[in-house]
Amino acid sequence: MSVAQISENEAQAPVEQREALPLRIVRRLANSRELTLFVLVVLLALAMTIVYPHNFPTGPNMRAVLLNLAPVGILVCGMMLLMIAGTFDLSVGSTLALSGVWAGVVAGWWGWPAEAALLVGVLVGAVAGLINGLIVTRIGINALIATLGTLTIYRSLTYVTAGTGVTPISDSFAEYGRAADPILRIQSPFWAMLILVLVGGWLVARTRFFRQFYFVGGNPRAAQLSGIRVDRLILIGFIIMGALAGIAGVLGAARLNSAVVNAGVGIELKVITATVLGGASLKGGEGTVLGGILGVLFIALIENAMIINAVGVFWQGLVVGLVLLFAVSLDRFKTAGRG
Amino acid sequence: MAPRLQISQLCKTFPGVRALDDVSISVEPGEIRALLGENGAGKSTLGKIVAGVYSRTSGEVRLDAAVLGDLDEKAAGELGIGIVHQEGSLVPQLSVAENIFAGRQPTKWFGQVDIRLMRERAHALIAQLGVAIDPAMKVAFLSPAQAQIVEIAKALSRELRLLILDEPTAALTLTETEKLFEIVRRLARDGVSVIYVSHRLAEIFALCDSVTVLKDGRLAGTRKVAETTTDELIRLMVGREVHLTREASARQAGPIVFEADGVSAPPLVRSASITVRAGEVVCLAGLIGSGRSEFCEAIFGARRRTAGDIRIGGAPVDPHGPWDAKHAGIGMVPEDRKTSGLFLGMDLVNNIAATVLSKVSSGANFSNSKAERLAGGFVKELRIATPSVRKIVGELSGGNQQKVLLAKWLAMEPRLLIVDEPTRGVDVGARSEIYRLLRGLAEKGVALLVVSSELPEVLALADRIVVMAEGRTVGELPGEGATEEQVLRLATRFTSSVANVREEAVGA
Repeated sequence: MSVAQISENEAQAPVEQREALPLRIVRRLANSRELTLFVLVVLLALAMTIVYPHNFPTGPNMRAVLLNLAPVGILVCGMMLLMIAGTFDLSVGSTLALSGVWAGVVAGWWGWPAEAALLVGVLVGAVAGLINGLIVTRIGINALIATLGTLTIYRSLTYVTAGTGVTPISDSFAEYGRAADPILRIQSPFWAMLILVLVGGWLVARTRFFRQFYFVGGNPRAAQLSGIRVDRLILIGFIIMGALAGIAGVLGAARLNSAVVNAGVGIELKVITATVLGGASLKGGEGTVLGGILGVLFIALIENAMIINAVGVFWQGLVVGLVLLFAVSLDRFKTAGRG
Repeated sequence: MAPRLQISQLCKTFPGVRALDDVSISVEPGEIRALLGENGAGKSTLGKIVAGVYSRTSGEVRLDAAVLGDLDEKAAGELGIGIVHQEGSLVPQLSVAENIFAGRQPTKWFGQVDIRLMRERAHALIAQLGVAIDPAMKVAFLSPAQAQIVEIAKALSRELRLLILDEPTAALTLTETEKLFEIVRRLARDGVSVIYVSHRLAEIFALCDSVTVLKDGRLAGTRKVAETTTDELIRLMVGREVHLTREASARQAGPIVFEADGVSAPPLVRSASITVRAGEVVCLAGLIGSGRSEFCEAIFGARRRTAGDIRIGGAPVDPHGPWDAKHAGIGMVPEDRKTSGLFLGMDLVNNIAATVLSKVSSGANFSNSKAERLAGGFVKELRIATPSVRKIVGELSGGNQQKVLLAKWLAMEPRLLIVDEPTRGVDVGARSEIYRLLRGLAEKGVALLVVSSELPEVLALADRIVVMAEGRTVGELPGEGATEEQVLRLATRFTSSVANVREEAVGA
């Protein structure tokens, strides 16, 4: 509605030969990825409410959707930060599992208090991230190769640590993943994600420290010569990524009261998909946490539609893939429009 | 007999620049002809046109009396014209043999590369040059001199009539240079004509038979090397009206702000010392490869320093990285604004704020309004032509980009500002404005260290000129009254030892 109005006003202005209306709308949307995604998410939600009035807009379905997107949502904050700095981490799924399993071992087998187990899990994640960061910045191995290596290493360490996993862990530990708020009755992983996204979004968008990541991704050499400590920032980015994977891991383990050794398999690609959909580029220097979380939301809605529709899981990947390619081609459009 | 190469009335224009204007030369078989000129005189352009890298705008080129049409590098190569590029055209990951026969590898059945034959031929070619390099070795493991020899072998891999060498010694040591000269002389004895592009006078006297001097794209003269002198060549190179004039300044240099003593950063900086006073513009001059930029990078902590002391305001500092230098009050505007200076995809506000994130923040919060005010102030002060501070920097003109880059460093209020090539790729109008800005800065008491490869620029700006050669600071001149000849003489003093080597060889 508002888009149509703006176009009308512009059409009346005496300017040079204008492009066709649809083209202009596409360009306007292309210039803000967050806006594009927001419109798409709202449209998708509306469409699903109309088509599946008995299945989609129900309490249980909504709760399930929001709870399921929690781990991806937590990870997308860190991945967005890394991609802004021009790098990324493929090992997040394995880190998530390793953290969950260590929390499970500490609480379930050793009988430590739940709080200590949570802390150990997050620390394991942070250390895994630190190792990634050291490999990338100190040894100078490309992030793709480095984290591809640690992806299998951390997964293997997960198996070595706990064999088939730790089940059950402990009731007091499980409480941290199952506690729900009294009104919406959504369990804690969602709320943790919400807090992390809000805080992370504010930090990345507004604070001086995190602003430096945009410079690092925008032109690492110029950033270095501007007196920005490029390597140190990238290291910190990896540690944050690891700690976030740790949080996602321990909360997941707590909710199920079970540390599963193959938790988070393949989640890294889902996270990167959402991050790119949310406006990050592999070259770095752009993207926002808000965009990232909208990307997560969008993918979650499409998955939900597929499940309700019973067309089934088989089509899900096709749709997500097409949407990703479409979003990235919008970017090409944006750059072309600038010249 | 017709000359090997005859160029008549050759013109070449690039958008906005006349690189070559009515140039005619002819080169005999077996002659070694130097092409001499300052940076931007058009000497490399001439070589590249003959070798088919650039197309000409007008004029005629004849090779052994046959008129050459518009040709590309491949066609030129088939005619026997080889070029050895300044920057090197080898693929480091591939073997020597493969580089020599790039795209023309001998094949067996079904297009299969005959590796043995290729290596044998590469070996023969290199042996012909009187050296031994394993053809199976990767180019990445070669020394610069060896790589240069492989480049020549690559040119020799076809029947060669004319060889163009574009600044071949920039990366070579003295002994390696001498070796290269021997090879070139042997080729000339075999009847190959050589065009030797250089701005090192000493090398020309050591190697060449004749020399053609270009100046601002025009022919300044051709001389027999035996009948000319250094003085005459320098006059020919420089002899144009200098359109950048000095401004008489009433500036008084203040106390010493910056001292660097015996700074070494091998291999390019061996022992360089400099002092800069408050309100003084010191220009660092020297030929390409003399270590000027590298010296500055070492001061700024962007290059590892192995020896030497650096003091700011008398207090010793030891920058291990640009951030240390920045905190000590040193700023550096790098030479290449696109790759190392600007964030081309970001707007003016972010570019300018990059060095002073703390200044445009309240607490931990990055303040957009503060940053915009800062950028807006500089847009006005430096007269940056932009519709808005939110304009993407990559879309500005070269001169305005350069001003944004300056603003980025002015924002941190440096005590010493190093400016490497302040007007590279900037048009004449913006150029004088940048000079005005730099002088204005000095008047405010900033110590300025300017690196420039353009002598008129050095003479227009400097209060004092420090000359570097071979990684060392070799001399100093007052800016007032200095001439290009004096600077060039200092800058080439070290390389002239090549000429002595030759004289000894001839005498023996």
